Amino acid sequence: MPPKTKQPERRPSRPVTITAVIDPVAALASENLDDSLYLYDTNKAAGSTGFGTPELHSRVTKGDTLLWNVIPLECETYAAITDIEIDPRVAEPTRKVYPGTDIVFWTAEVKQDLTEPLRYRISFLLGTVTTPFTPTARPALAGPADQAREGR
Amino acid sequence: MAQQHGIIVLFDVENALRTRSLAGNTYWFDNMKLFGSTGEGTEHLVTIVPGTHFMDGSQATEQVLNWLPAALGAIPPTVPRNYLAEQERADDRRTLDQLASLNADGGVSDTDLKRLQKRVGKRARKPAGGRGLTAAKLLDVTGKTTSSAGAYNYPAPVITDITGPAVTEKIMYPAQYGSPDMIYDGWYWAATVDTSRPGEYPYTMHVQLHELIEQNDEMIWESVDLTCESTLKITTDPKRNGFTGAGLGLLPLPAVPATG
Repeated sequence: MPPKTKQPERRPSRPVTITAVIDPVAALASENLDDSLYLYDTNKAAGSTGFGTPELHSRVTKGDTLLWNVIPLECETYAAITDIEIDPRVAEPTRKVYPGTDIVFWTAEVKQDLTEPLRYRISFLLGTVTTPFTPTARPALAGPADQAREGR
Repeated sequence: MAQQHGIIVLFDVENALRTRSLAGNTYWFDNMKLFGSTGEGTEHLVTIVPGTHFMDGSQATEQVLNWLPAALGAIPPTVPRNYLAEQERADDRRTLDQLASLNADGGVSDTDLKRLQKRVGKRARKPAGGRGLTAAKLLDVTGKTTSSAGAYNYPAPVITDITGPAVTEKIMYPAQYGSPDMIYDGWYWAATVDTSRPGEYPYTMHVQLHELIEQNDEMIWESVDLTCESTLKITTDPKRNGFTGAGLGLLPLPAVPATG
């Protein structure tokens, strides 16, 4: 099928979702998350990179709503984001739950355009362990890329 | 029997609908990384299927595969699948309650009306003869009512078939099963594997995504059928005793249990 000629204007009516796929069993067994965390986002078309690694660089622009959530590979093991630490001048993530459930997501609005990638720390609670798991490698938010915009 | 394989496929639905292709838009996982699966989290997953055989060469274990699709950027599968329906009903109840209290007050302000209208939201119809999705209120990715076609939560991708060399060569026998487990909508795909012929066998997964389109002032779910590929790697080892590492036989237990 030929590509559609008319592309809808990209209004961020749907958040840029950053999904952490976690293998909680492997993380609990090895007591670290470095080889058991796969990050993805929904902004590949805008030029996000590092898919499937803990070093995802998400392309975002000022005004975007961000949403972080978790998909555990083993749905009987608890896995949730417990904290996101990022420069508050850029975003102030808050913890929320899907209405009527206790399943956590985090959300924030991007307050300014970024000229350089901004790394942040994301921590998870897994199983019944009370100490949060934080991967050594850091994901980042990155500003809009000119060449990525042309590519669409 | 060894543990069952869970193969999770994460679909970048937005990108797949935009490019009308699953190339580069699927991410595959399984629970066999420790046993030698490769390509976890990429679209080039090779799922290891470790089989065993008896001394005469006959198959000693059967392996079972299960496939679980999920949509990237949607409400995650940890939220029960009936969540959307529950949420819709709860929302309608709240709207009705508020409507009732408006009448009681006597006066109706524009802002009240607007708020209620927003809550009523929009419903998407399924195309005539279509299957899979029920006509339901549109919810956004946080579970709130939305009337914007650009904000709806992507429905979970639906596997419609599994084909390819792994099937035609009778390495695996996939089928769709019904299940009382609501998390996966009561339906899932599973297969048993013949592990007597080691090798790498590709297979094709047929998937239906759903795109919301506006037609004659109506929202309609349009199904988009796409395919993607993955591979099974079958190995077979002699069946051995898990306690001794040696051949089959009696367990090395003392003839008389130790006392105490």
